[in-house]
Amino acid sequence: MRKYIAIFKSQIQITFAYSAWFWASMISAVFQLIILFYFWHAVYQNSDTIGNMNIKQMITYVMIATILGKFMNGAGSQLAGDIRTGQIATELMRPYNLLHKLMAMDLGGKTSDFIQSAVPLLVVAGLFFSITLPESLTAGILFVVSSILGILLAGVFDLIIGLLAFWTINTWGLRILRNAIVLFFSGSLIPISLFPPSMQLISQYLPFQSMVYVPVSIYTGAISGQDAWMAMGAQLFWIVFIYAVLRASWSQALRKVTIFGG
Amino acid sequence: MVRYMKLYWHFFAAQVKVMTEYWVDFIIGFMSVFFIQFTSVYFIKVVFDHIDVLNGWTFYEILFIYGIASTGRSIHQIFFDNLWLVGRDYIRTGNFDRLLIRPLNPLFHLIADKVQQDGVGNLVLGTILLGISMNHLAFDWGFWDIVLLIVMVISSGLIYSGINLFFVTFSFWMVDSFPLMQTAFNVSQFARYPLTIYSKPIRIILTWVVPYGFTSFYPATLFTGHKNYTTLALITPAVAAIICVIAYGFWIIGLRAYTSTGN
Repeated sequence: MRKYIAIFKSQIQITFAYSAWFWASMISAVFQLIILFYFWHAVYQNSDTIGNMNIKQMITYVMIATILGKFMNGAGSQLAGDIRTGQIATELMRPYNLLHKLMAMDLGGKTSDFIQSAVPLLVVAGLFFSITLPESLTAGILFVVSSILGILLAGVFDLIIGLLAFWTINTWGLRILRNAIVLFFSGSLIPISLFPPSMQLISQYLPFQSMVYVPVSIYTGAISGQDAWMAMGAQLFWIVFIYAVLRASWSQALRKVTIFGG
Repeated sequence: MVRYMKLYWHFFAAQVKVMTEYWVDFIIGFMSVFFIQFTSVYFIKVVFDHIDVLNGWTFYEILFIYGIASTGRSIHQIFFDNLWLVGRDYIRTGNFDRLLIRPLNPLFHLIADKVQQDGVGNLVLGTILLGISMNHLAFDWGFWDIVLLIVMVISSGLIYSGINLFFVTFSFWMVDSFPLMQTAFNVSQFARYPLTIYSKPIRIILTWVVPYGFTSFYPATLFTGHKNYTTLALITPAVAAIICVIAYGFWIIGLRAYTSTGN
C-alpha cells in the first residue's frame, strides 16, 4: 500500500508543478498590469494629455503592448541549443526544412499561449483597468492582422539570433541583449511617439517598432487610414527582408556544418 | 563563526578563480545585466521628459530609489543566488544529501557554493545610479549619512534574500518551489516606484506582508525630504533581521520534514 501512496503523492507533485509554472507567470503578468495602472495614473496626476494621449488611451496602449510584448520571443534558443549539442546534424537529415519546422512549433506554442494567457489577461485588463475597445471595427481587424505580422517578424528575427550559435558559444548574452533592445525599441514599454525626436528617427529605420508599436497604435487609433496601410507594408517589408537575411546566413552556416562533418 | 568566515573565504576564492578563467563569460554577463537595467532607467527618463514630478518625486529621487533597490538586489544576487536552484539542482537530483553529510550548516554550504558574477552588473549600475542621484538630491551628505545608506543597502539585500529563503523552503515539500519564489520575487517590482502611488491595500502588503517596501522606498525617504516615513525607514535593519530569523526558522522546519528523493 505504501508504494501506491508514494506514487499517488508524486503524481500530485508533478501535476502541481506544471500548473504552478502557469499560475506563476499569470500572477506575475497581473502584477505587471497593476503596476502599470498605478504608475501611469501617477504620471497623469498633473496633466491631462502626454504626447497627445489621454490617460485612458495610455493605459490601453501600455496594457495591450505589455500583453503583445510577451509574444516577441521565438524558437531562436531552441535552434541555438540544437547547434550547441550537435542535435542539428540529425535534424538536418529529416525530411523537412528545420527553420520552417521551428517556426511552426513556435507558432503552435504561441497559439496555445494566446488562448491560455493572453485572452484571460485581456479580460482582466478590460474588467479591472477599463481599457477601451479598438478605435473602430476596421482598426480592430487591422490590429489582429498587424499583430500577427509583428509576431512573425519577431519570430524570424529571433531565429537569426539563434543562428549566431554557429559562430559564438555565448548566445545567452546575445539573447539578453536582444531582449533589452526588443523590449525598448518595439514600443512594448512606452509608445515610440513619446521618445525624444532623435530616438524616434533611429527607431523608424529599425525593424523593432513593427513588432509592437505599430499594431497597438492601430488599435488605439494613433495610426489610422492610409498610415495604417503604410505601416503594415513596412511590417511586411521587414519580414521579407529579415527572412531573406536568415536564409542567406542559414545556407552560409550549413556549409560550415558540412565542413565539420568532413 | 570565525571558522565559517574562513571557510567562506576559501569558497569565495575558488569561485573567483573560476571567474577569472572564464572572463569572457563574465564580461558578457556583466554587460547584459547592465544593459537590461539601463533600459528600465532610460524608460523612466523618457517618461520624465514629459512630466516634472511623479507623485511628488523628482527624476533623481526616483533614480535614488532605483539605485538602492539595484545595489540591494545585487548583494542578494552575488552572494545568495544559489537559493534559486535548491529545488532544481539539489533536491530533485538528490544532490542535497551531499550537503547534509558534510560537517557544516547545510544552508551555509549551499550559499557558499556559488558566487553569481552577473550580480556585479547590478552592483556597478546601482552604485552609479546612487552616485548620480545623490549629487542631485537636496541633501547634505555627511560621513554618517553614507554609513547609514550602506546599512540600508545591506538590509535591503538581506530582505531580498530572507524572502527568497522563506519561499524556497517550500521545495522541501513540493520538490521545486521555483514558480512560488518567482511570483514572490516579482512583487519586488512594485518597489521600483514610490509606494505612495499605490492604493492602501497594496501599500499594506508591501510593508507588512511581503515587505519589499523596505528594500528601497522607505530607506530612500530618509534622504529625500519625504519626512512622513522616518520611523518606518529607521526600522529597516530590524525588519531585515526579523525576516531572516523567520525565514531561517521556517527553513529548519522544512529541513526536518525533508526526505530525500531516493527514499
